[in-house]
Amino acid sequence: MHEIVRKEFSKYYSGLAAEDLAVPDMQQREFAFLQFGGEVMIRHMKFLEPKTLKDYIVENTPAHIYHSSAYYKTPEAADMNEKGWNGADLVFDVDSDHIRTECKVRHDVWHCMECGQEGAGFPPESCPRCRMKKIDTRAWICEDCLEAAKKEVIKIIDEYLVPDFGVADSDFEVFFSGHRGYHIHVRSEALRMLSGDGRREIADYVRGIGLDIRSHGFREIKKEVLIGPDMKDGGWRGRIARAVYEFVNRASLEDLKKVVAPGVAKSLFDNKERFLKNIESDPPYWGGLKGYTQESLEKIALASIKDLICNIDERVTIDSKRLIRCPNSLHGKSGLRTLRVDYSGIDSFDPLKEAVAFRHGSIRIYVKEAPRVRIGDEELGPLKDRTLEVPLALGLYLICRGAAEPR
Amino acid sequence: MSLMLTKEDLAKYPFLKQSAAYIESMQLNLSDLAAGDYSGILHKALSRIRDCIDKTVRPTDLSDPDSEILSYPLSLALVYGSKSNWLLNRFATIEAKRVEEELRREPGDKILEVAKSGFSWEIEHANLKLEYEDLPFSIPVQSYLEAAASFNDAHWKLVNRYVKGGRVFLNSGSLARLVSEGFKAKIIRRSSERDLQNFRLPQVLAPHLDEILRYAQDNMQFVEELPQGLVSDARPPCIVAIMEDVRAGKSLSHMARFALTTFMVNVGESVDEVLKIFGNVADFDEGKAKYQIEHIAGKIGSRTKYSPPKCDVLRSFGLCVGMDEYCRSVKHPLSYYRKRLKSMGAPGGKTGARDRKKGV
Repeated sequence: MHEIVRKEFSKYYSGLAAEDLAVPDMQQREFAFLQFGGEVMIRHMKFLEPKTLKDYIVENTPAHIYHSSAYYKTPEAADMNEKGWNGADLVFDVDSDHIRTECKVRHDVWHCMECGQEGAGFPPESCPRCRMKKIDTRAWICEDCLEAAKKEVIKIIDEYLVPDFGVADSDFEVFFSGHRGYHIHVRSEALRMLSGDGRREIADYVRGIGLDIRSHGFREIKKEVLIGPDMKDGGWRGRIARAVYEFVNRASLEDLKKVVAPGVAKSLFDNKERFLKNIESDPPYWGGLKGYTQESLEKIALASIKDLICNIDERVTIDSKRLIRCPNSLHGKSGLRTLRVDYSGIDSFDPLKEAVAFRHGSIRIYVKEAPRVRIGDEELGPLKDRTLEVPLALGLYLICRGAAEPR
Repeated sequence: MSLMLTKEDLAKYPFLKQSAAYIESMQLNLSDLAAGDYSGILHKALSRIRDCIDKTVRPTDLSDPDSEILSYPLSLALVYGSKSNWLLNRFATIEAKRVEEELRREPGDKILEVAKSGFSWEIEHANLKLEYEDLPFSIPVQSYLEAAASFNDAHWKLVNRYVKGGRVFLNSGSLARLVSEGFKAKIIRRSSERDLQNFRLPQVLAPHLDEILRYAQDNMQFVEELPQGLVSDARPPCIVAIMEDVRAGKSLSHMARFALTTFMVNVGESVDEVLKIFGNVADFDEGKAKYQIEHIAGKIGSRTKYSPPKCDVLRSFGLCVGMDEYCRSVKHPLSYYRKRLKSMGAPGGKTGARDRKKGV
């Protein structure tokens, strides 16, 4: 990495108040660092207070700074078995890379490392030409990607964490990761001691993995007579009921035909109002349509909940000893800050503006190739093979991304 | 405490705080219990263990609650003293089954009382009435996940439970099952604690332990040795799917690679055979692959032979391609393999070598 980036990072950290680097219960956390150009993580560090952490960072200027999601009795022990694991925050990682947004066609390209086939947009699982799974991607982020990630965060919190898991407002924090997405740190004591298996169950819960519709109250008591959940029910039970209601309410005949047999689709479409009214009634009634069985209902339910399933990197949630980025540290691949987001104001939060760490100065760079990029209020590109003077934050962003060099 | 637990309850549910306190109040040690005055108790303890060995689940004998209560610690001491994991697991399983059956006959309030006294789960009355189903109890999510961790059926998965406000809502039957499983876990967990690691049975009980072990010997089933080499027809669907990807030359995710390698190594394929399978993969690097397979097989490095990930993990990583009838009763790809082999007749009937010629 270029010396200029290191120098600017160092300046940033020097100007920071030590308190800005505080991490809750920091004496029980392990800290870890990745140096510029380094491949090996410096691990098992313990800091008693933000001041000593700041001093270390200013002296060493790492490219990436992490702390453990876990609480340890002896965080500095080099052997994981000797650290004395004492619980961990429950972490959700939402990464815009994993979300199929339409904007990806505008800024992402992939190519097959086997046959050379290329394409734009979200990378296919295997190459459409040679079927091989060796796909290389060059992904960028834009406002739309980050907006999609933000929607996922809101979904996880409002749809699952608060109502189902009873997580209080004071028990979680949301962070912009400084690059492609968001992290949610849940610090509820009631969930702190979850094992890896328990965490996997929670990840599966928000991803709808293993969801069995029949476990949620649907029963065919006799032919074409179906009972099912109430929209007022809690958990997945009510969620499925509400989702089916919404889906059928919005669906065209064509939409329904994509999900169930044409005859059932027609019957459902023609009797839509009655069907919806029955679901709304107390107690709800789910049947009474000709040709309509529990199986068709299951198909509709599965189609309905697609948008309610959360897009997270499950490996992060499952891991009870994850290293995660420190608040207000810089992301070495963007030069942006890992920034705490006030959840009540998340709708108007603009990560590409508020996470900008370098607010003054400019830099002359040579850009190899970049799509349209915005950092702060400055926009640039798409451009290729150009040398120009840009605001410092934008320049460092492109350098950190590997798309530009200082001149 | 809202309900009084009777002496009969202490006999039925030996994991209760009150049971332990009662036993302690008798101020008897193990050698006392082996003495002639208490021969009834010793007799009960021995038949309790024999029932477990026979997989006989009998209702608790309440004709003499005192000796029933005291027979539990004595039988447990014999089981711990045997240092046999087989006996320990069998004892814990059958005792837990007995407890579950007892609980299912109890009114809801009693189940709650027992659960509260036996475990630190913060169970509460919920009184949630749904269409065609009442869920009268709730338990914190974390406690639920701890207690139900070993359950296999889809309906125990958190995503298929009624979860609200940080609590999981349960009917009486589910709570009875959680309690009995918690009891089983307690028995097994306790055996690995330090004081029990060094536990020696008093000399007077040694002849009785010998008797139990002789009895067990006739019933003990040792884990059958798997035939060497892969039997294709016994592969679980997830492994079949990964192997099809391999055959198509697709490159695999790290988890898919790990699952396939560990599976192959565990069914007795050699490192070279596993290497051959991977030869078709897009980004194949023989040197690197060989090193990794040898590592997984425990031939180099930490010398631990790795097991394939269990079904839950494969499911989370999107490698479960859907269950077939065998999948429903197992939670690990190797258990699936064993089960299929068994259903196909004696292991070794099909030899791996013959099978391999078919090419997979």
